[in-house]
Amino acid sequence: MKYKIVIELVVVIGLLSAISFAQNVGDYQGRLSDKSSFEPTKISVEETRYIGIDYITASDSVMMKNCGVILRRDLDFSPYFEIVLFDKFFLKHLELETMTISAWKWLGTKYLIKLETEFPRSNIRLRYRLFDVDTKREIKKGTFEAKKTEYRNAVHDMANEILKSLTGDNGIYRTKVVYAKKIDDTKELFIADYDGQNEFQLTDNKSINISPTFSPDGKYIYFTSYMDGDPNIYKLKLKNNTVELFAEYPGLNAAPSVAPDGSKIACVLSKDGNSEIYLLNKNGRIEKRLTESRAIESSPTWSPDGKTIAFSSDRTGAPQIYLMDADGKNMRRLTFNGSYNDSPNWSPKGDKITFVSRAGDFTICTVDTTGRNHQVLAIYGNNENPHYSPDGNHIIFSSTRLGPSEIYTMDLFGNSQRRLTVRGGMSNPAWAPFE
Amino acid sequence: MKRLLILMLLATLAFMFFGCKPKVDPVVEQPVVVAPEPEPEPEPVEVIPEVIPVEDADFVVVYFDLDKYNLVDAAKTALENNAQVLKDNPSVMVKIEGHCDERGTVEYNLSLGEKRAKAAMDYMIDLGVASSRLDMVSYGKERPIDNGHNEAAWSKNRRAAFIVISQ
Repeated sequence: MKYKIVIELVVVIGLLSAISFAQNVGDYQGRLSDKSSFEPTKISVEETRYIGIDYITASDSVMMKNCGVILRRDLDFSPYFEIVLFDKFFLKHLELETMTISAWKWLGTKYLIKLETEFPRSNIRLRYRLFDVDTKREIKKGTFEAKKTEYRNAVHDMANEILKSLTGDNGIYRTKVVYAKKIDDTKELFIADYDGQNEFQLTDNKSINISPTFSPDGKYIYFTSYMDGDPNIYKLKLKNNTVELFAEYPGLNAAPSVAPDGSKIACVLSKDGNSEIYLLNKNGRIEKRLTESRAIESSPTWSPDGKTIAFSSDRTGAPQIYLMDADGKNMRRLTFNGSYNDSPNWSPKGDKITFVSRAGDFTICTVDTTGRNHQVLAIYGNNENPHYSPDGNHIIFSSTRLGPSEIYTMDLFGNSQRRLTVRGGMSNPAWAPFE
Repeated sequence: MKRLLILMLLATLAFMFFGCKPKVDPVVEQPVVVAPEPEPEPEPVEVIPEVIPVEDADFVVVYFDLDKYNLVDAAKTALENNAQVLKDNPSVMVKIEGHCDERGTVEYNLSLGEKRAKAAMDYMIDLGVASSRLDMVSYGKERPIDNGHNEAAWSKNRRAAFIVISQ
């Protein structure tokens, strides 16, 4: 019964937002109507072969299998690729014992990756060979070695190399993400791999820590914390996990966003009795006040060239997204669709801004910086705090679609929506720059 | 209080010893300094139990409409009560916490919570409460009083709450 209602909701919402949905293994996958212009390349990863001479232990065998799983997940995450899986029934149909390159071609695969591994000393050594299925030629190969405890990094490095050689783009497989996790009545900041693995707790001050954002060099996280009672901005050095006070003006010190050249920090201060956007220098001193209105101005985000700042303002009664030059001049409204648009984040590619839009519940949308091409990427439950990956091909956000608030990622079209966390109470994600 | 009594006891003892013994042990040397004081009765101590300390619960919570920070009539009535409590207890200082419901973004709600706290604070000042006795902070949507996800919970969470920070 409940299931049926959900299905009906899907249909209704799907029609309303002009999106059609396809069910993928485990995760649901939203396909945008304009995505038809972009066809992902089909790619396959064969089961990992063991090429060592010693007997393989059970744990090594699991690790070996996981290498293939992680590589498939990594590549499938990219909007460029679509993973084609090995199909037993298809094999039977062709009366084949094992998959051949011709069989992969029948399945529509364009590129095939063969993996080999051995375990020298306490390490894992992974070798890949990349084949063009049409020509049956090997076009690239590489070897990666890591401690067994860090084998995931070796696979991510391999995924980065394969992505780079096929698309020319830098992969995000070794980048980190940060988010806040609710612990009793407090929120502490955690950092993890892009896929949610290797989680590490950053703050432990038993207060509320929110709105983390990285410096462009990736060495610092600026965030708002109540650790000293009032909402101030702090700066966390990732190298040794030390925290220093950055800004403590009267009232709110919130929503920090570091300029692309690292020289300034845009943030929200309410020291004059109302939230306004300010520019602070690297020492936290005020360089310039950028907005002046009786409304709430919040959530500044920089264009990648550092010339423009997007922010939200409720000067029309509810928050909408505006743009202004980095000196506060030339203010213009960007969003006109919907009654509540907030939490903007500028794509590193420069062409789009992702934001939260209320349509009953809260959805993640994107809009071109021209104000055109409003698209809905994530629905179901309340979706919040969208933040682009450093390559601009992915968005991280929080969602309550399954009840508890968890961190999710998706690609720039809204595809490959994946859940990173499982324990609930997760919010405020941000993506780190490239290492 | 306890310390005062002990000191006085020591002082009296020292005084007695002083009277009969010309030589003083090094141990009793310190009380000698206190000895010249006259023997006062601790009168003001008894006044304290008569004052009932003001609690957070003496202040009425002020509620707001969705996405709003203007004071509705009920909010004004609540603040008039709170102003009276502060007038009756002239040494009490409070912090006004502004809160929001879970809907809306983290950062917008921080600003909205502050607008609510400020609206409450401004009205208190209009009612004649000295601004030096009032402080404020916004918690946005980070500290809900009701963790539910329905209108009943939301309406409880859109609030300005008074917290006593000094008696």
